[in-house]
Amino acid sequence: MMDQRWRPTVNEREFIEHALQSDIRVDGRRPFDFRKLKIAFGREDGSAEVELGETRVMGYVTAQLVQPYKDRPNEGTLAIFTEFSPMADPAFEPGRPGEAAIELGRVIDRGLRESRAVDMESLCVVAGKHVWSVRVDLHILDNGGNLIDAANIAALAALCTFRRPECTVGGDDGQQVTIHDPEVRDPLPLAIHHLPIAVTFAYFGDGNIMVLDPTYKEEAVMGGRMTATINSNGDVCSIQKAGGEGVMSSVIMQCLRIASVKAADITSKIKSNVDEYTTEKAVRKVKRTPVLVAKKNDVPDITMESNDGALESQTSKTPNDAQGISKDPPAIPNDKRHEDAKSRLSESNPEVESMSNSGIVGESDEAKESVSPKSLKDAVKPKHKRKKKQHGKS
Amino acid sequence: MESKKPLRSAFVDDYVVPGDVILDLADMTNQTIKLGAGLRQDCDTIQVTSAGRLRLSKPNKYWVENSQKRYIPSVEDTVLGIVVDTKPDNFLVDIKGPSVAFLPVLSFEGGTRRNIPKFEIGTLIYARVVKANSIMNPELSCMDAIGKAAEFGQLKNGYTFETSTGLARMLLSSPTCPLLEALGKKLSFEIAVGLNGRVWVNAPSPSNIILVSEAIKQSESFNRIQQRSMVEKLLAKLA
Repeated sequence: MMDQRWRPTVNEREFIEHALQSDIRVDGRRPFDFRKLKIAFGREDGSAEVELGETRVMGYVTAQLVQPYKDRPNEGTLAIFTEFSPMADPAFEPGRPGEAAIELGRVIDRGLRESRAVDMESLCVVAGKHVWSVRVDLHILDNGGNLIDAANIAALAALCTFRRPECTVGGDDGQQVTIHDPEVRDPLPLAIHHLPIAVTFAYFGDGNIMVLDPTYKEEAVMGGRMTATINSNGDVCSIQKAGGEGVMSSVIMQCLRIASVKAADITSKIKSNVDEYTTEKAVRKVKRTPVLVAKKNDVPDITMESNDGALESQTSKTPNDAQGISKDPPAIPNDKRHEDAKSRLSESNPEVESMSNSGIVGESDEAKESVSPKSLKDAVKPKHKRKKKQHGKS
Repeated sequence: MESKKPLRSAFVDDYVVPGDVILDLADMTNQTIKLGAGLRQDCDTIQVTSAGRLRLSKPNKYWVENSQKRYIPSVEDTVLGIVVDTKPDNFLVDIKGPSVAFLPVLSFEGGTRRNIPKFEIGTLIYARVVKANSIMNPELSCMDAIGKAAEFGQLKNGYTFETSTGLARMLLSSPTCPLLEALGKKLSFEIAVGLNGRVWVNAPSPSNIILVSEAIKQSESFNRIQQRSMVEKLLAKLA
């Protein structure tokens, strides 16, 4: 499909270079400005989607237990896989990765591995037998230029939010590994020491004009490109300059200086996005806790939890005649029960009520618990008093 | 007894989808109707083949107007093409359509075998579509119907970018669209718009060119009032 590929016109080529002589880029940016960066996370741990201007890349991290390499028996492994989807660019062909795909994977891999950004030794479970192998899949969704930088950010964001299952070693010979279910034991994050950020420069006009974060059109017209991977401490993790025009060493040093400033900027953006995501996830988890607490305390009746409205509305009628003491009419408890957290909490009280009263039907009791302002529980279970008072006001 | 009154389709200026029947020819006698893009004759009925708005141009030309990134060539459209190859008889020109278009080397004013223009790959050409059907490659010409050059030919300098076909049509609408009018009041520039969704802008200074290009690209979904306010904001920032 050769004729489907986009080609720059002579006019564009000349204009992009001409405009750069006056330090103007065709999308209105200054030469050393990054495009707008947006990081979004998926539902599962370890999936991130990055938008850098028009470029979109998705990163996805998975891990499994494997046998380690013979020469490194107590280290885990990290592997990067890239997929250049044909929907990202008409020039991408499905099937085997092309040269650009392999180069991208290699640059990101080198940045993470050589700089020891991800701690490999903490991924060892049983030396010589079982280690965690972490796999990062990068899918290019839209090619708007500068895939390396965007893919790197996606890989880092995904690694930061990835959680691997906790596993314990036991058994007779100390070799049995049990992987715990994430519901039972919280999965653990990877140990990441620092974030190596890739910053790409494009060269124009005999190597003396350079811009940061080239767009698709600028990449088609540029003379050469260089990617520097730097972390916020200023450590250079890797440099990649494959072919293209020659540049002076002073220009390279200047680029490294600019890159370290930009790397600090992007690192703080990644960290703030990751923190926001993890706190939001933790907050969502906290709301679930009352259910677990109620379940543990519940002695006799388990059925009441599942049939919220139906069962209780039926049974609440009968004991009304039997236990007329300090019980509010059943109408109010029905409304109260619709509030999730509160009804769950009130379930923890039934056992106390059933002890104090005859305990015929616990359901209606706990429903009325939530409404009656003062009863025996206030004296017996002071720790629930605070929560009770909140929904005790009817 | 022939009915002299032309039967007008009830769907003019409405949105239609493929499969809609817009006109039944059984009721009409001795009248000719011209069908443009997106319409097809099926025995006695005229059916729609692409989704969009049905338009009528007096006295009897119907076509369906829609906006998309790809361009379907249609005769008499003026387009901006990029030369991708040269052959002995034709230039192969990409006009954002399903297939590459042919521009005969002699379709220039006063063109003979001795003065064939030399276009390198990547040259931008403003041309007119002469032949277009779904079976063959479309054919272009750099002359108007009489044989004069009339602004067709190579466009030098400036900057090109791509838009949707709907935006290109909006830029070409008459009276002049508010976007270009507002920009023209403050800046001086020249512009060529191809109905295939390609635009060429030229101005004395690069910053003006970029300003006009960005303004046009942003106004993809704006109506008249929004366009005008967007341009005013942009120019106010400059001043």
